[in-house]
Amino acid sequence: MNLYSLYMKFFVMSANASEMSLWERMKPPVDISTNGHLIDSLFILTTKLILFFFILVCIGLFGFSWLYRHKKHPKPLYTHGTSKKHVAIVAAIGALVFIVIDMQITGISNRDYMEVYNNWPKESEDIVRVEVLGQQWAWNFRYAGKDGIFNTEDDIVTLNDLRLPIGKKIVFQVSAKDVIHSFSLPNTRQKIDAMPGRIHKMWVELTKPGVYEVVCAQICGTFHYRMKATMTVYTQEDFNKWQDEMQQRTSFAMEKESADLYWGWKWIANN
Amino acid sequence: MAFFEQHIHDEPKTFLSKYVFSFDHKVIGKQFLWYGIAFLGIGGMMALLIRWTLAFPGEPFPVIGQFLFPHTNGVVPPDTYAMLFTLHGTIMIFYAITPILIGAFGNFCIPLMIGARDMVFPTLNMLSFWLAFVSAILLLASLFTPLGGAAGGWVSYPTLSTLIGSPGIGQTLWCLALFVLGVSSTMGAVNYIATIITLRAPGMGYFDMPLTIWGLWLTAILNAIFLPVLGAGLLLLTFDRVFGTTFFLAGAAATSGSGDPVLFQHVFWIFGHPEVYILILPAWGIVSDLLSFFARKPAFGAKATALAMTSITILSTLVYGHHMYTTQMSPLLTQSFMMLTMTISIPSSVFFANWLGTIWKGSIRFQTPMLFSLGVVFVFGLGGLTGLYLATVSTDLYLHDTYFVVGHFHYTMAASVLLGGFAATYFWFPKMFGRMMNETIGKIHFWITMLGLNGVFMGMMVVGWAGMHRRIYNPFVYEFLQKLIPINTFITVSAITMGAAQLFFVYNFIYSMVKGPKAEQNPWGVGTLEWTIPSPAPHYNFAEIPVVKCGPHELGNPNLKGDRDFQYQTEELVECNS
Repeated sequence: MNLYSLYMKFFVMSANASEMSLWERMKPPVDISTNGHLIDSLFILTTKLILFFFILVCIGLFGFSWLYRHKKHPKPLYTHGTSKKHVAIVAAIGALVFIVIDMQITGISNRDYMEVYNNWPKESEDIVRVEVLGQQWAWNFRYAGKDGIFNTEDDIVTLNDLRLPIGKKIVFQVSAKDVIHSFSLPNTRQKIDAMPGRIHKMWVELTKPGVYEVVCAQICGTFHYRMKATMTVYTQEDFNKWQDEMQQRTSFAMEKESADLYWGWKWIANN
Repeated sequence: MAFFEQHIHDEPKTFLSKYVFSFDHKVIGKQFLWYGIAFLGIGGMMALLIRWTLAFPGEPFPVIGQFLFPHTNGVVPPDTYAMLFTLHGTIMIFYAITPILIGAFGNFCIPLMIGARDMVFPTLNMLSFWLAFVSAILLLASLFTPLGGAAGGWVSYPTLSTLIGSPGIGQTLWCLALFVLGVSSTMGAVNYIATIITLRAPGMGYFDMPLTIWGLWLTAILNAIFLPVLGAGLLLLTFDRVFGTTFFLAGAAATSGSGDPVLFQHVFWIFGHPEVYILILPAWGIVSDLLSFFARKPAFGAKATALAMTSITILSTLVYGHHMYTTQMSPLLTQSFMMLTMTISIPSSVFFANWLGTIWKGSIRFQTPMLFSLGVVFVFGLGGLTGLYLATVSTDLYLHDTYFVVGHFHYTMAASVLLGGFAATYFWFPKMFGRMMNETIGKIHFWITMLGLNGVFMGMMVVGWAGMHRRIYNPFVYEFLQKLIPINTFITVSAITMGAAQLFFVYNFIYSMVKGPKAEQNPWGVGTLEWTIPSPAPHYNFAEIPVVKCGPHELGNPNLKGDRDFQYQTEELVECNS
């Protein structure tokens, strides 16, 4: 099969699947969290700022190349660029980039990081706690169940099946069994590495019910690309219903000796 | 440092001593060039296999697929795919770019441009190449081991790179190959540093050195300091693999005591971030010089450029933590690394301003080396600026491990360095082989390469922002990525275009070497020391050690008499009162 027909085959196939404009295709996945917009807006701001400077570079690059080409400008200006004026201009450009771009985006990013992503919900709040264990090549999830204590008989344990409610803060504690994985929820714009021997944490609050995907973002072996879990987001009532239903099943499912089921750890309080 | 003069040795007579085990820095430089170009071809072919898989998952690779993967009828299997991206990264960084920019042009240019007869330690220099050769054999041998080559990514994070994740001997060989290569590069680096300090021609102060030499010198310093760090990390990893230690093991697999996988990431990135600058510094230096040479005016603020490169060299050692934002370091560390990373943009904008200042009011000749240099300014502008998204921690939470990162570092490390390497090849080819390369083919090569390259790396950033993560065999098992199929196909077509453009280069390179028009002593009209001697350079370089009297960028002085618009560095500077 030649390249052209192959290209047409895939292009036509995907184009037919949905009539989507290029702009639509370039968009990140739908944001379903309360804080995802912080990252999106910082991205857009950075894009505007760097476009401004990149256009300046291009004006210099293409403009000077055009104006001072050999044919049009045979006599070059003899300067080493060491005069006070020249040094001041160069220094000003350096300062300008630092102040206009760097200080601004660093300030915003630092604020978001400290006040939102690193501002852990209090244990006294009504939060959903989930323990996440990555393994080659699946995600294990664990809810504390009725008693609110992990690694007991009434825990709800699922494989590649994450179910969460909207409108509540959700705290994940993440670890890995064998190699490093990365627990990534593209729809909330967040990820955290899952590492053997360490417990990392991440918190999100969701806004839109629906079915989404959980990604392993860190290379973890041959079938890394298949290490995908489903994230079902419910309204709070539906989530409670699901939890009750699972709760009834767990007493049958939890066998005391099964190491596969008793992998959890004692919840580590945030504060 | 006191100046001393090396003796002129007799010209080697036998084939072995002249072309194989040669002490001559020019021959060693050419050996590195061939070595680098060969690996560039291998690494590029791997890139095409990777791209093919991403655009047409499940379709057999045309023509050679049947021979490479007979068991799957020509389709790249997933385990091979992991091996491909691992070795593509390793080969391109350590076996293609490093040998071409540092091995070939470092060796070739340093003694010629500072007016020396050879490197200060010629034997060490030869050893450096042959160790690199041994390393290449180790790496290629790993492909033929029972479980295949390394497949844990070029960063080879444990515990995936320990026996838990990669049981085969391929990963061990990979560690050893890079360890040996580290020794080889350290030897080269020590040699470069010592040569530049002790063998500069009389009269040549540090700021009279061409900026190419500045770039190579700073690179060598970083190499000498940080490659041993990588060596240490790889040695510990090898111990974990072979002797059952647990430096980097933790969790269920650490049956005899527990280490920490994050430790390796710290060690790796303490080396890994400077490595980025190790690769780009020579290209910056070369571009700074060539812009001045082809704009026919002195480099704008050359001293500031040199100092800016120096400060970046220092800063590069302090920012490595931005590769590890998702490993949940202490917030204080994260904030510090973010701030330090941002400061790099100050010196970067300084030499960007100087580059544009250099071509401002010049008299620009668009010969092939100049085109490639201007190309570097363009692509490094994009690459540098897109780094800002990854330096700010909150956007990195989303973009980390996506194709956005891949696009960004390919712009800086692959595109800029590659174009810089081509600029250098077209520029010094006459001095290396005594013949000129073809300008027309060179320009075709440039434009098609630029077209393909921007299609590939811009496309990667687009799919990265759309959420596609790295190192996945088939992205389209994820529903939210299925809309990206056409963009991925576009990237692959661009990559094939870019690959095809290199055929022009290979043809031009080989044809010109044999049949190209004979080069004059100074075809570009440039005043640095290597152009004061015949082309190709004789084995002793300089019959008389030159005495340096002015800077490297004395072009376009209006008070110059005669038909030359430039001054050799050996001439007294003609005063100009403007």
